[in-house]
Amino acid sequence: MNATALPLPAPRRDSLGARAVRQFRRDRTGMVALAVVLGYLAAAAGVWFGWWATDWGALTGTKWEPASAAHWFGTNIIGQDIFARAIYSTSVAFEVGLVVALAATALGAALGAAAGYFAGSWLDEVLLWFMGVLEAIPFYLFVAAVAFALQDSPWAMQVGMIATFWIGTARLVRGEVMKLRGIEYVEAARAIGLPSPVIIARHVLPNTTHILLVQASIAFVGAIKTEVILSFLGIGIRDGVSWGLMIEESTKEVLAGFYNNFLAASLLMFGLVMAFNTFADALQDALDPRKVG
Amino acid sequence: MVTLPPGAGTGPLLDVRGLRTYFPVRGGLLHRVVAQVRAVDDVSFTLDQGTTLGLVGESGCGKSTLGRTVLRLRPATAGQILFDGTDLARLSPRELEPWRRRMQLVFQDPYASLSPRRTVGQTLREPLDHHGIGTPTSRRDRVAELLDVVGLSPAVLDRYPHEFSGGQRQRVGIARALAVDPDLIVADEPVSALDVSVQSQVLNLIRRLQVERGIAFLFISHDLAVVQHVSDQVGVMYLGRLVELGPARRVYSTPRHPYTQALLAAVPRVEGSPADRVLLQGEVPSPLRPPPGCAFHARCPRVMEVCRHEAPVLKDVDGPGAGHRVACHLY
Amino acid sequence: MAAAPPVLRVRNLTVEFATDAGIVRAVDDVSFDVAGDETVALVGESGCGKTVTGLSLLRLVPEPPGRYAGGSIELAGRDLLALPGEALPAIRGRDVAMIFQEPMTALNPVFTIGTQMADVLRQHRGLSRSKARAEAAAMLAAVNIPDPDRRLDDYPHQLSGGMRQRVMIAMALSCRPRLLVADEPTTALDVTTQAQVLAEFRRLQQEFRTAVILVTHDLGVVAETCTRAIVMYCGSIVESGPTAELFRHPRHPYTRGLLESVPRVRAERLPELPVIPGRVPDPGRLPAGCRFADRCSRVQSRCRDARPPLQPVGAGVPVSVACFNPW
Ligand SMILES: Nc1ncnc2c1ncn2[C@@H]1O[C@H](COP(=O)(O)OP(=O)(O)OP(=O)(O)O)[C@@H](O)[C@H]1O
Ligand SMILES: Nc1ncnc2c1ncn2[C@@H]1O[C@H](COP(=O)(O)OP(=O)(O)OP(=O)(O)O)[C@@H](O)[C@H]1O
Ligand code: SF4
Ligand SMILES: [Mg+2]
Ligand SMILES: [Mg+2]
Repeated sequence: MNATALPLPAPRRDSLGARAVRQFRRDRTGMVALAVVLGYLAAAAGVWFGWWATDWGALTGTKWEPASAAHWFGTNIIGQDIFARAIYSTSVAFEVGLVVALAATALGAALGAAAGYFAGSWLDEVLLWFMGVLEAIPFYLFVAAVAFALQDSPWAMQVGMIATFWIGTARLVRGEVMKLRGIEYVEAARAIGLPSPVIIARHVLPNTTHILLVQASIAFVGAIKTEVILSFLGIGIRDGVSWGLMIEESTKEVLAGFYNNFLAASLLMFGLVMAFNTFADALQDALDPRKVG
Repeated sequence: MVTLPPGAGTGPLLDVRGLRTYFPVRGGLLHRVVAQVRAVDDVSFTLDQGTTLGLVGESGCGKSTLGRTVLRLRPATAGQILFDGTDLARLSPRELEPWRRRMQLVFQDPYASLSPRRTVGQTLREPLDHHGIGTPTSRRDRVAELLDVVGLSPAVLDRYPHEFSGGQRQRVGIARALAVDPDLIVADEPVSALDVSVQSQVLNLIRRLQVERGIAFLFISHDLAVVQHVSDQVGVMYLGRLVELGPARRVYSTPRHPYTQALLAAVPRVEGSPADRVLLQGEVPSPLRPPPGCAFHARCPRVMEVCRHEAPVLKDVDGPGAGHRVACHLY
Repeated sequence: MAAAPPVLRVRNLTVEFATDAGIVRAVDDVSFDVAGDETVALVGESGCGKTVTGLSLLRLVPEPPGRYAGGSIELAGRDLLALPGEALPAIRGRDVAMIFQEPMTALNPVFTIGTQMADVLRQHRGLSRSKARAEAAAMLAAVNIPDPDRRLDDYPHQLSGGMRQRVMIAMALSCRPRLLVADEPTTALDVTTQAQVLAEFRRLQQEFRTAVILVTHDLGVVAETCTRAIVMYCGSIVESGPTAELFRHPRHPYTRGLLESVPRVRAERLPELPVIPGRVPDPGRLPAGCRFADRCSRVQSRCRDARPPLQPVGAGVPVSVACFNPW
């Protein structure tokens, strides 16, 4: 029966992911950036496990001590250790970044995929209209409104960010899904009789991961920067400390000529944002389907 | 096993009557329908079990749309799609589902037709799982058997599509269509993207499936030589309409419609073409504004006055027994 | 054979690409001549190196990943591969021009046809703006585009595929190049349009006396358009000669297999199409001897040990073949 059997192709056993990893590992800057990000993550993890920065709230010194062996970055206006506070804030930044990035990306993926797969239908029209409305509201006003509506909730800031950050992802995913839904393997799935949610989950969304990963990293960085501004404005982190709260605190100090608090918070944030952006760019290059496909 | 929808058992497997598929063209501020693309316009044909109807015609004449409408992957604007006696055009998506087991689709692009992130095994199992064919254990054997039928080794089960050549992917695509043991396969340009030497391998495979498994094919191609090789019947489309329909042997040896004649004359031949062949002038008119009368009249070398305002209908030539039908005022 | 002197002499051309899987030799030691009045076909299956050979003739292979690893390309007496990079733009378009399969990618969507054609004419032939426009209109008329004056103001997307390809031909010929390289110029077109465009092609080739290299995989197109054909397999030439002779008596088993397996409109359909078994080997894992050995019906033991050189078959027949056991 197999008169025309073909010989097997050369065993190229790497998946698409493996190729992307290989591509990424060739990128020197990307690898350095990844190492820096992992360093920050380790600092945050130590806080979560209670290994260090446990005394970020304690008055361990006197007002405005300069850097010393006991207080690496000195102390703030009421005598708290700036280093401990900055490290603790790193974990807060990761918490905010991860929660917002994951939730906003998941929401954007789901709604964007639904809009794209049913593009032209009433569902798509409603979603597009909704996105347009959300985008028309000035961002800080929106967060302030959410904070007000959620009263005491410590999650007000995150909810505000998630509710707006998903839109960019949704628009990109919608566009990609509109392309994918006409592609032949999706049509083949319809010809088999699979229901739409299964087709979206199994055949469409997995092929948008390059977008989702990049969007999630953008949301991560965006959330960290936004936290700083919102906390500075007093509508961000309520309990504890964060880079934003430290900078807010430092305004009085800077006027008095004491810069440690301000520099510690802003430089640490700057380092993480830079490293993460560089990492995200390298990731995008590595995942570019034209290079991977 | 699932019970299949009952078939009438008599008559043709597929009987398409007056099928139309129009696409609305929206425009203006209010997104109103400003025009219709008549992609498929009043098409009728029948297809018997185990036989092949080849569809040819220039790009944009509606071949793919016709094939997909028959499978109800595009909504039919009007007409009937009698599959084993049941009008698919009138079924709801839910009612349609069991029928999906009896008809499948094979695509042109071997690179776009397989999900890049799913292994060949996953791709082939999906239809079996969805339709509950066999037991979960017997499905493994079934997948291996499918690969064997299309000439691939069962060792490729865990491989991803990018590890295959175009011809091998096309075989996987055919295996996926065979998984549900369909009665009808719509093959939309299944070999157009393949190299000559691989093309003939896949064409022979398709011929074998017709003979050994009694599968009926609606075989779409712009390549007249390829269509001749696999078809029992040939339909020639122009601007959404069938202009000639008949047994392949007759259509190729004595084409009647001036368009079919021009199409056959234009095929570049290895043995060289006659120097006196007539080349068709001009281009296919826009399906948005099909010309009045015979849609072909502006390009027809034998146009007559009546052609300009009266649309010809498909008529038997050579008597009703020959089954050769042409839509042209010459006959 | 052609009496005209060769316009193009390609000797031992070798082009390599650096890929993930290592160095891939896309064109391997290719030599051929093209005379001033010839239309030469470059045929073969996907990936055999037709396009890379064609691009090399304008030195258009992207470097990197590509690299000219050896040989020479003599166009009208000058070796393109030895020229400094700055000298190339003046040669491209004027001495040698290229047409691609998808004209839409070669035409700039934001400029009108007229602007783009006039630009080329002004640059290479130094015509004034108004002269260039008039010449562009004349060229459109020459490729049988109706109403050329109005068409000049159209944008590429306003033209059909067949029209765009005619515009490309008009543009390529407008500077009277000595050599025109056409890479699958009609593959994306319908048969009817293809027949029209090929007819234009033949007429213009006669009229302008341009040497043409036509890259194609369609043997029918070769038979109808080309005086001579070069058959490639895995980056090398396996057979070359006058089209009529090659098709009447294919000597290389690959040429023969290709000719037999191509589906053609026949009086009676065959019960089964002849096939070439197997498939083209991966460029990274080529067999040591003859690259066709694994698929060949006439393979002998020496075919697996050494590569057959491209040699004239002799006996006054102007055909060369790279096979130890030709038909
Ligand atoms: N989803 C769609 N929406 C609007 N118009 C469409 C759609 N699909 C097809 N058309 C139009 O319908 C006509 C027929 O298209 P179809 O794809 O069926 O042609 P075809 O004969 O398969 O052509 P080809 O040989 O290029 O594949 C074309 O004019 C096309 O533009
Ligand atoms: N930019 C590139 N990078 C790496 N490899 C390349 C590149 N361009 C071509 N190649 C390789 O060179 C070889 C020859 O390719 P080429 O495009 O010349 O084939 P072809 O004969 O024109 O095929 P087709 O009929 O598909 O157009 C192939 O193996 C291809 O993978
Ligand atoms: S009906 Fe008239 S115009 Fe149409 S094909 Fe026949 S002769 Fe030509
Ligand atoms: Mg089509
Ligand atoms: Mg090519």
